[in-house]
Amino acid sequence: MDDDELISVLPIHYSNSLSPNVHIHQFPLLSRPLQTPPAAAVSGKRIRARIKPITRRLEIHVPVDPRPEVWNGERSKELGAARQEDDREKNQDVGKMKQMEGEDPRLAEARMRSELIPQEGAYMLGVVRNGQLHLQPIGETHQFRPTLTYLDIMSRKSRRSRGDTGSDDDSDDGPPPDPDEPPPKKKPLEVKEVQVSARKAADDKGNLQGGLSAVRREMLLAIRAEEDEVWEDLDFCDGETAEGHEAFEAVFSQNEEHLECKSDITAFLKGIKGL
Amino acid sequence: MADGGSTSNTGASSTPSGTPGPSVPKAIGSLAKKPSDVTRQGSQRLKFVPTLPSRRKKEEVKQEAPPPTIPSASTDRGRGRGRGRGRGGEGRGAAPRPPPVEMTASGPFAMGPALAGTSARRSAPRSNFTPIVPLGPGNAAALGAGLSGAAGPSLKRETNVLVQKEIKSEVDDDYYSDPDEGVEIIDMENVRQMDWMAPESLRKERKEKKKKKVTQVKIEDPSSPLGITNKDEAVDIEEVDLANALDLSESEEEEELEDLIDDFALQGEAEQDADIRQERLYFFQFPEPFPTFVPNIPSTSPTTMSVDEPPSDSRPRKVSFAADVKPPGPDVDPAGASTGPEAEQTKELPTIDGVIGQLEVYRSGAVKMRLSNGILMDVTGATQPSFLQQAVHLDLQNKRLHIMGEVNKRFVVSPDIDTLLHAMELRDQAEINAMPIDDTNLIKMN
Repeated sequence: MDDDELISVLPIHYSNSLSPNVHIHQFPLLSRPLQTPPAAAVSGKRIRARIKPITRRLEIHVPVDPRPEVWNGERSKELGAARQEDDREKNQDVGKMKQMEGEDPRLAEARMRSELIPQEGAYMLGVVRNGQLHLQPIGETHQFRPTLTYLDIMSRKSRRSRGDTGSDDDSDDGPPPDPDEPPPKKKPLEVKEVQVSARKAADDKGNLQGGLSAVRREMLLAIRAEEDEVWEDLDFCDGETAEGHEAFEAVFSQNEEHLECKSDITAFLKGIKGL
Repeated sequence: MADGGSTSNTGASSTPSGTPGPSVPKAIGSLAKKPSDVTRQGSQRLKFVPTLPSRRKKEEVKQEAPPPTIPSASTDRGRGRGRGRGRGGEGRGAAPRPPPVEMTASGPFAMGPALAGTSARRSAPRSNFTPIVPLGPGNAAALGAGLSGAAGPSLKRETNVLVQKEIKSEVDDDYYSDPDEGVEIIDMENVRQMDWMAPESLRKERKEKKKKKVTQVKIEDPSSPLGITNKDEAVDIEEVDLANALDLSESEEEEELEDLIDDFALQGEAEQDADIRQERLYFFQFPEPFPTFVPNIPSTSPTTMSVDEPPSDSRPRKVSFAADVKPPGPDVDPAGASTGPEAEQTKELPTIDGVIGQLEVYRSGAVKMRLSNGILMDVTGATQPSFLQQAVHLDLQNKRLHIMGEVNKRFVVSPDIDTLLHAMELRDQAEINAMPIDDTNLIKMN
């Protein structure tokens, strides 16, 4: 290692001026930048965001590409209606009913909902500028996935109406049933049976009122509390806005002074829990 | 010409259903949807026709076979060719494709999944706010492309609006024989470019020359995860496939090392455009607990000590330097130099701002962080995710969510073991020495 030549040295600046508001947002199912599809941008749609500050849940609404080659307008009406109902149930109306111009609501955007991910270790965001590395601590990590809760509504409807399993209704029907096979009518019965038996078992274990165990009730309470919280709209600022610039500039530390370190390298080892 | 067994049609031409072909029993590809041709959803499965089809297939729907002239500007948004489910409707009887048209991928998607945190080298992080390319004149027509039967998906010519620096040379695409009318040969990797909604191309290992190399650590070219790559050397796809298996491990390492060096040592070469946000964002994972830093006893004017306030407050301690440099943006407080001689600043809440150490880049590719107080850390590349990661700033006071940019690379920082063990040893020694040995029964073990 001694003959390892040092090529360059960058001073490291650290600033926590923006913490704890610096987040990392991950989009595990997306591998392209988050942008309005040009076809939708033409009609003025933009990406929007909203947050439930207490629960720390964010939603990003990305407009979809409405071109007929890649988007099924008819289907979007069905799903849009389902989503509207779902919104009403869960108190997550967007609030802007632009599409209610005598038309059915359409599914015009993909909603990505965030999950707060626990952080392992201390996360820092680093930017290299002018031969210096600037670090900012990252407060939260969110992972965004599209929410498709409106599909529940649809399957619920269809399950009631048809009595089928209903799971095929949201997509194209599968291959037509083979006439040689017996029609799958027995499934609902089986499903029902399973459900009943499962509930009974839970009752035995839970031994609380209503057949819900304490844990489950807590969960339900948490879910309900979250649903009751009101969404706050956020401006989704892309990088090019003036405010965005300001925020970005704030990442860079202004101070040239050397800071003293209070901790020792051994703190890392001692900081390991359980060791 | 009963060679109905064209490459894509496994079925015989014995069922020329509905084909208004010539009266001569020239074999025309069957238009019946074969199971292999159709996905479960009923939409047309896209087919890749790598060789010259023996005859015309007027109503073949599937082929994508581009002339090897997919133009270079990969920044343009791929437009035009309706895809995906649109194909399902086309089924049979679709009008013949218009003759192959140059299609360019435009816009930020053009480079495919490269944008999301890959280790690909990008001279400018295009995803950091490359402005969205406005739709070219040809795009409007693309929007109206009918699905079924009508004029077929529109393949409109697009203007290349080059925003991206990287230029892809198209000449080296595998050259296929001239496509028939209505058939277009497209390299599978370039599928991504065809349209905004086009599916992702799986990345291939490619040999390519890196554009910028600070150190010529390796001459041979590590793979590039870009789906669309610079093909400076004409490499056949088949050859690369074979090479994949062999070179994968080596090339990944090389690439990582090189990238580390390049990421940090590129200062000299930083030809940053006047564009915004050309700086790349990196993600560092430090072990807990992150060492606390306190400002030295400053020589500047002392200010109040309200250390415990979260940085979001605007405090009166805009100290001497550059307080006005910072725009009145969100929660900025350059109070790093505020006095804090007492130990109250051991918490990390107070605003800390300053130099905490240095990053050393070695020729071997090792990158170390030397922080004050003798803390030495190794920096290594972490697993690079294939998905999008954005660094954002949440401004609840102004109700804004600023996107600061995409995180290009992730790094893991870990303490240098030698230093750590040495320090532990010293500490243990110190503890031992500090122990008063007053009990005569105690035996010193060392």
